[in-house]
Amino acid sequence: MSILANKDTRAVIIGGVAGLNAAKRMAQFDFLVNRPLTVQAFVYPPEEGQQKEIYRGGELNNVTVYGSLDSALAENPQINTALIYIGASRAYHSAKEALDVKGIKLVTMITEGVPEKDAKALRKYALEQGKIFNGPSSIGIMTAGECRLGVIGGEFKNLKLCNLYRPGSFGVITKSGGLSNEAMWLCAQNGDGITSAVAIGGDAYPGTDFVTYLQMFENDPETKAVVIIGEVGGTLEEEAAEWYGREKRRIKLIASIGGTCQDVLPQGMKFGHAGAKEGKKGLGSARSKINALREAGALVPDTFGGLSKAIKQVYLELQASGVIKPEPELDEKLLPVLPPSVQEVMKQGEVIVEPLIRTTISDDRGEEPRYVGYAASELCEKGYGIEDVVGLLWNKKLPSKEESEIIKRIIMISADHGPAVSGAFGSIIAACAGIDLPQAVSAGMTMIGPRFGGAVTNAGKYFKYGVKEYPNDIPGFLNWMKENVGPVPGIGHRVKSVKNPDKRVKYLVDYVTNQTTLHTPCLNYALEVEKVTTAKKDNLILNVDGTIGCILVDLDFPEYSLNGFFVLARTIGMIGHWIDQNNQNARLIRLYDYLINYAVKEEREVPEKK
Amino acid sequence: MAKILEGPAMKLFNKWGIPVPNYVVIMDPDRLAQLGEANKWLRESKLVVKAHEAIGGRFKLGLVKLGLNLDGALEAAKEMIGREIGTSVVRQVIVAEMLDHDEEYYLSIAGNRDGSELLLSNKGGVDIEEHWDTVKRLFIPLDETPSIERITESAIDAGFTGEIAERVAKIASRLILCFDNEDAQSIEINPLVIRKSDMRFAALDAVMNVDWDARFRHADWDFKPVSEIGRPFTEAEQQIMDIDARIKGSVKLVEVPGGDIALLTAGGGASVFYSDAVVARGGSIANYAEYSGDPPDWAVEALTEIICKLPHIKHIIVGGAIANFTDVKATFSGIINGFRASKSKGYLENVKIWVRRGGPNENQGLAAMKKLQEEGFDIHVYDRSMPMTDIVDLALNS
Repeated sequence: MSILANKDTRAVIIGGVAGLNAAKRMAQFDFLVNRPLTVQAFVYPPEEGQQKEIYRGGELNNVTVYGSLDSALAENPQINTALIYIGASRAYHSAKEALDVKGIKLVTMITEGVPEKDAKALRKYALEQGKIFNGPSSIGIMTAGECRLGVIGGEFKNLKLCNLYRPGSFGVITKSGGLSNEAMWLCAQNGDGITSAVAIGGDAYPGTDFVTYLQMFENDPETKAVVIIGEVGGTLEEEAAEWYGREKRRIKLIASIGGTCQDVLPQGMKFGHAGAKEGKKGLGSARSKINALREAGALVPDTFGGLSKAIKQVYLELQASGVIKPEPELDEKLLPVLPPSVQEVMKQGEVIVEPLIRTTISDDRGEEPRYVGYAASELCEKGYGIEDVVGLLWNKKLPSKEESEIIKRIIMISADHGPAVSGAFGSIIAACAGIDLPQAVSAGMTMIGPRFGGAVTNAGKYFKYGVKEYPNDIPGFLNWMKENVGPVPGIGHRVKSVKNPDKRVKYLVDYVTNQTTLHTPCLNYALEVEKVTTAKKDNLILNVDGTIGCILVDLDFPEYSLNGFFVLARTIGMIGHWIDQNNQNARLIRLYDYLINYAVKEEREVPEKK
Repeated sequence: MAKILEGPAMKLFNKWGIPVPNYVVIMDPDRLAQLGEANKWLRESKLVVKAHEAIGGRFKLGLVKLGLNLDGALEAAKEMIGREIGTSVVRQVIVAEMLDHDEEYYLSIAGNRDGSELLLSNKGGVDIEEHWDTVKRLFIPLDETPSIERITESAIDAGFTGEIAERVAKIASRLILCFDNEDAQSIEINPLVIRKSDMRFAALDAVMNVDWDARFRHADWDFKPVSEIGRPFTEAEQQIMDIDARIKGSVKLVEVPGGDIALLTAGGGASVFYSDAVVARGGSIANYAEYSGDPPDWAVEALTEIICKLPHIKHIIVGGAIANFTDVKATFSGIINGFRASKSKGYLENVKIWVRRGGPNENQGLAAMKKLQEEGFDIHVYDRSMPMTDIVDLALNS
């Protein structure tokens, strides 16, 4: 037995992320006592239609978020309890709506800062409906072994430490949330634990009071004694005393009241909960509450520290009189253990997980990224440049000064080639169509292939093959290429020729061979090949793709990485074209009719579909 | 609970048709001279000048001056503005028309759990406490508005007669409207005065409390509530309030001068019990503090640094119940950072620190706290097995 919440409680949580966190904690309790999920639905219009993942132990459940309480109940008619986790400005309407639902008998609200007028109205409305409105500012309700509403009871470990997996004999009613947990702990330490614990909230006008729940506990045969923790302000504790003293009660009452310090503090100095304020002429003072409770026969220790002893005393008395029969404790080892997350288990080295991917170049787990072990900031500090980062991330090597200078010049020379070429033109058309930067640059990027910029890799690859397989036999190489590949990648140009050489090629070849000490077997081989091909046809020159490809092979970059240099370099240009078009507020463009040869069929009638 | 000053209260009275005397609130005496040129009532009426600040016992402190003409009011304003009373400074004065009147009445309304209660007496004024038996009460259930006839009956019951009873009832009905619609918690008008020659009424003095939590539905609340602790807030308290307004969860601070036991406690309920424990053992607290609702670590750190600076403290009580959802490890890391920073600035010399806490990640939090011993802190750390407030006994017995 219990009060307010039990095995049959099924709840809806009205509210956002705080409600979700509560649901997760509640599911841990559900797992501990092996009951079905308490939270059956969420109501939170901004996230309507979403599913929230809730683990009950190792079992993953999806709980639906509804846009309205009505729709939540239409699909989950078993719901009989509502938890309000929504902001103060909407709390009143949410709670009232829940109280209007026939099947919902209990509404408990954690929201803080709810206007007093709203709380008073909700209390009255609930009373009229014969329902319970608990809160505002309530941490929740706990029934040992049966049901947890809210985050009351804290983390999983604490649920076990407070013996909340099985019922005891003590009821708990507090204003404070933190002290509800403390009181449950004290009841487990000094007695046999709790039946139910409820936090009514520390506001000036809570929806329920001590008497509401004392009466319920009195009617609950399993509850033998009740611990209440009150505080200065209001008259709820005095009313509890009046109730307790009015007639012989079955339950023993233990109480602790906070705020005696206010006797010695300057008048009007107020702290603690919103409701903790002494009235005129000492009305609602902690002292008057303590006296009233003592007169009514409750056990009230002088300080909170005395509570342990008081609980123990009552427990022993109840045992001695046979009201409480000691039951053998469950072996804690038999209790379920919350499944740890994969991360936790891995930390303990108790599980092997096969990685999904592997990386050998970059590590982001520290304070800053490390490229092949080197901290990015340290590279900056020591004078390295972007070309060194390319060397590290693409080839896992720090290039020498000379090598990085070559890489840098390759990138500089290939950064752009005017608006007419396929890549830039693609980006420009996209920019003119109002496409955003990343997508417009991608449009240009899709042009990179066998006929535009994409020959670097293949040029490097085949010239490298030639160096290896046909070192002194250019005709043999050309013959092999003809039979197996086709035209030699990196050889040939649409407009450039021997008489009209490509300045970029001349410059690069001259720089690498005359101004650096780089050993260039591949470039040399390609130049030999060029001699043979240009003898056949004037425009079969070593083009810029071929030149770059060979130099990069000579720099020891893997051949499949070589197109990357063109992609990297030309990205700079394409971004430039996109920015340029945007700066000029360029308009949508389309081809003129006269630039198109409409080599089409004449107009004709569509035949009937067969 | 939020007490508001007379000026804003008068403004709300005006809004709901409760008669008030003419008044102005000023910060600069020169402004009063200019207002005098513009307003006939300032030149022709007797005036009262009052410090417009949350200072108790203004009359005795000479911060209320009665029966002045405009020159006298100017003089009084000059004298009051800038005066220092304890830790606070008078920055504003309210200058109001001092209505010549024949009688003083008492009218108030205060909320209770089931609605509100209207109090009426025809023996208002400074001696109302002595005439408390003349006060008649009318209970107003939640969401109900008593008819004017019903209020008039109460007025007659309280000894009002004829036209005056009707007029008082009318004012009371507007007071009820103001109370209901402005989310007030209590309004006390004392005295409500009458000048019978022209049957003019005015609320000469008023104390009003509004529900500050309801401010989200009052776009015209352009005031701030005044300090609830009987004195203006200190700089440190203001600083913590500013942080509190910005964060999830909360941090709170009230300084109590003269005490030597500082509190750095968690939770609205438990923190009060820690104060009680200190007082019950004959100690004196240097402050009240509270952090709750899983506040961010930096907010707790700021609170810690302020507490470490409190003068003449011998002990700091880092106490708390077993938390439901406040992360002990995270909030303690804020406290630890605060302790370290304070120590490096020369604070915490000869200060003993006593810790007791439970809750999410309690083991890590307590272990980190305990490690401060290695850094030379005089710190004593206990877990949930130590009864909550017993660290106070340990501190006082040490």
